[in-house]
Amino acid sequence: MVLNGFPLNIKPLEILSDEQVEAIHRGTLDILQETGVRFEHDKALKLFADSGCHVDFQKRLVKIPDYLVEECLRKAPSSFAVKARDPKNTVRIGGTTVYMMSNCGMNTLDLDTLEPKTPTLQDQDDFVKVLDALEHVHILGYGPHHNFQGVHPLMTLPMGCASRIRNSTKAMDAGGIKKCQVWNIKMAKATGQQLLGIVTVSPPLTYYSDAVEAAFDYVEVGFPVELWSGAVYGGSGPVTLAGATVMTNAELLAALVLAQLIRPGIGVIPYDFTFPIDMQRGHPFFGAVEICLHSMAFNQIWRHYRIPCGNAFFWSGKAVDYQCGYERAVSTFLAALSGANVICALGGGSMELTAHPVIAVLDDDVMGMVKRVLEGMDVSEETLAVNLIEEVGPIPGHYLNREHTRRWWKKELFIPKVADRTSYPEWVQGGKKTALENAKTRVKEILSTHTPTPLPKDQDEEINRILREAEEWYKKQGWW
Amino acid sequence: MSAETEILENLKKAIFEGNAGDARSLTLKAMEKKIDPLTVADVLTEAIRKVGEGFGRGELFIIDLSMAAEAMKNAVPIIEEEIKKAGKKQKTQGTVVIGTVAGDIHDIGKTMVSTLITAAGFEVIDLGVDIPAEKFLEAVRKYNPDILAMSSLMTITTPEQGKVLEALRREGLRDKVKVMVGGGAVTQEFAEGIGADGYAPTAPGAAELAKKLAGIE
Repeated sequence: MVLNGFPLNIKPLEILSDEQVEAIHRGTLDILQETGVRFEHDKALKLFADSGCHVDFQKRLVKIPDYLVEECLRKAPSSFAVKARDPKNTVRIGGTTVYMMSNCGMNTLDLDTLEPKTPTLQDQDDFVKVLDALEHVHILGYGPHHNFQGVHPLMTLPMGCASRIRNSTKAMDAGGIKKCQVWNIKMAKATGQQLLGIVTVSPPLTYYSDAVEAAFDYVEVGFPVELWSGAVYGGSGPVTLAGATVMTNAELLAALVLAQLIRPGIGVIPYDFTFPIDMQRGHPFFGAVEICLHSMAFNQIWRHYRIPCGNAFFWSGKAVDYQCGYERAVSTFLAALSGANVICALGGGSMELTAHPVIAVLDDDVMGMVKRVLEGMDVSEETLAVNLIEEVGPIPGHYLNREHTRRWWKKELFIPKVADRTSYPEWVQGGKKTALENAKTRVKEILSTHTPTPLPKDQDEEINRILREAEEWYKKQGWW
Repeated sequence: MSAETEILENLKKAIFEGNAGDARSLTLKAMEKKIDPLTVADVLTEAIRKVGEGFGRGELFIIDLSMAAEAMKNAVPIIEEEIKKAGKKQKTQGTVVIGTVAGDIHDIGKTMVSTLITAAGFEVIDLGVDIPAEKFLEAVRKYNPDILAMSSLMTITTPEQGKVLEALRREGLRDKVKVMVGGGAVTQEFAEGIGADGYAPTAPGAAELAKKLAGIE
């Protein structure tokens, strides 16, 4: 087992006092016990009832007593592994390790016209190849696209998963809509890996059948699950950040309880994926700074629970520009500094609408910056360099002729791959290239040089067979 | 100011400010005072139109829109009842049946559209979310609307909109109603592909489209 994420060597930022954390926890327990959470799923209702919850089968409302919440919090592990196709890419989520995960966009983006375009399956495969090559991507998130030219919407999720499995050996998550998990699980098993299953709440306080089915299917085969929140402050949740935290906490704890009742000890990771409403337009404001504040509180609370947690970010701009850069950098830094174990941000652009490998390459640099900061400052006799400073002394002394510099510079200094670091004359001579243009070049380089470890032939054929089975099954359901 | 005018002015204010309790009690008071329900209905329409205009100018926000809509819900049924009793008929720009398609539970965008279409003077029958094709058809038969409006946010549920259109064609209802579609995953191209009459990318755009489809302006 290799801990291949970023080490968090600094004390996580905390924005709440112990009393505030306790107040949020008490509020959460009140909601779970008094208000309850709606589960549109008979098997789940029965399981809750059999485990000591007060269940109103008519309203499909589950009230969970305090003791059961606390008991399930103890049963859920403080860290768990997600087995990747290549064992060296297996991740162990939890503790003080921070993993970076790619996010998604329905469409690809024409970088010249900034118009969203329906991706081809080749676009998807290429994107996954780039993610496979990037140094700072540890987990492949669902997607990166979930809409393909010539592919029926019902097949987009299994086909997206097949593409990830074929074109990457990294750990990955996978969706849970319309039973796609059945095929995702089969493909993962056929290729000797696990998946992080996605279970999504429908705020306020509701789990629809699809999400609960996904929880049962993934957890029953022993795959850990991601519990995704989704409240829009002022829309589907309270507008106050503390209120949104209480409601989100209650929703996620209800799913955590369900997962632990299905299979005690199963790994769970709740994600903060909440946003303020744009009061002029009604959609979520994806780039809002309040998301960061909410995530920082979220991370502190789940650390208090000793459960790993994740944060997710998109940006709201349409262009790959200054705004997308600051939205990405501010959010990922604050998430990492406040102790998120997984940060889902790489590659996805405008409001889940678009994603592009060039964005992922730009993000990879941001994640490298995050990594460097999380590593913290190495303070030892050698790094303090008191003797060296004494030796070099004032001008004309300098450090460019010292072994100490050669030994330490690569450890101390992060070199971004696509940021423009040239001098002005050099920049002019090189054709005035921006980071965006450098990123485009890097994507081309990766695609021409990187070949992901292919699946053995029999496994590849098995994937094809599973996809055919999925298609037939969907047609039989009459959902096609 | 006469007592009647005062009631109506206050009612207008209650709708504009989104005060549901006042909207209800003032409507009841107006009925007590035997004010013509058609006059009250006009006042309500004017108030919600003003809210829509304020929203359009960026002075009011979705929360104002939605509170005003709630206030309307507290007043309109009382008035409708009275209009019916009096054997009269309210003049509207037309009737719109709206809902989010089966498998999709996204409500906010659809409700915004519903409110802005109301503000544009239409009578709106909001079926809610997760509405299967047969429910849309049932509503088309029952209400005989000028427009059927459908929303879906997720890629995976967009085909439902096509299914509703297919069902309308199959049942010979397609010519009786204009169909407009929208939602996060819907594009102009998709709307044309499934044979809808119109698509709008935003809620104010949807209200404009409804007017256009109803042949107003």
